[in-house]
Amino acid sequence: MNAENNRFPRTPYILLGLGAALFLFGSWWGLFLAPREQYMGDVQRIMYVHVPTAWNWMLAVIFAFVSAVMFLFTSNYKWDSRLEAGLEVSSLLAFLLCCQGSIWAKPTWGVWWDWDPRLTSVAVLLFAFVGIIALRNFVDDAARRAIWSSVATIIAAVDLPIVYFSVKWWNSLHQQPSSPKTVSSDFYIPLRVNAFAILFLMTGFIMLRARLASRRLANEVSTVPLMEAGETA
Amino acid sequence: MRGVVVGGWNYVIAAYSVTTAMLIVYAVSLFVRLTADRGPRTEDKG
Repeated sequence: MNAENNRFPRTPYILLGLGAALFLFGSWWGLFLAPREQYMGDVQRIMYVHVPTAWNWMLAVIFAFVSAVMFLFTSNYKWDSRLEAGLEVSSLLAFLLCCQGSIWAKPTWGVWWDWDPRLTSVAVLLFAFVGIIALRNFVDDAARRAIWSSVATIIAAVDLPIVYFSVKWWNSLHQQPSSPKTVSSDFYIPLRVNAFAILFLMTGFIMLRARLASRRLANEVSTVPLMEAGETA
Repeated sequence: MRGVVVGGWNYVIAAYSVTTAMLIVYAVSLFVRLTADRGPRTEDKG
């Protein structure tokens, strides 16, 4: 029996390759083919990376939340490996989101950062997930680590609806959510292409990171049944 | 100005560069960790 139960060993690499190709294509379209926006000018082109990052970050947080719930219900360690992957990749995307937003905020709002409800709630979730990753590194016992980080992830994920509705609930400086339905047809092709690009990249990253987590778990804890430690994403 | 942002390509280039760089760095870190972690496998040949 192999400690790694990789049913699809090449899938993450295919997804990463596809995601990188789509990202190049979508970015080229957004930078050079899409028209300049009327008020924000060329700065609006940041939308083609910022909005897809935001959508996929939300998906990554939902993935981490579902993994945490599934671990608590099943006690199957493959969900703990997926949780670890979801936490790390969603932290990466949240950090990226804050950097892109900050760069976009300077020419449009005049500041790099503002304690606006949307920005603050994203930052809270980023720091919460980074804290949970740190917690996982400090706890040696695999069972406690999995349970504690699952519970903490479920609590932290309560912030996600606040992030989404913050621009509706409060008179936020941040604009309302964008979607292909709310932007001109000239703009939504690169938006959609980059949304799929980052989706494929995120999925590839999560699969590889879950594989790494399951390997470490299988090497670390002999009491964990290997099939349960095996990553099956 | 009249509420219109003029120029700004440097911000666009910065945003795309940061995004691309972070994605590449994370992908490389994953490959490095996976390669480093590919030690002796726990295999049951039977």
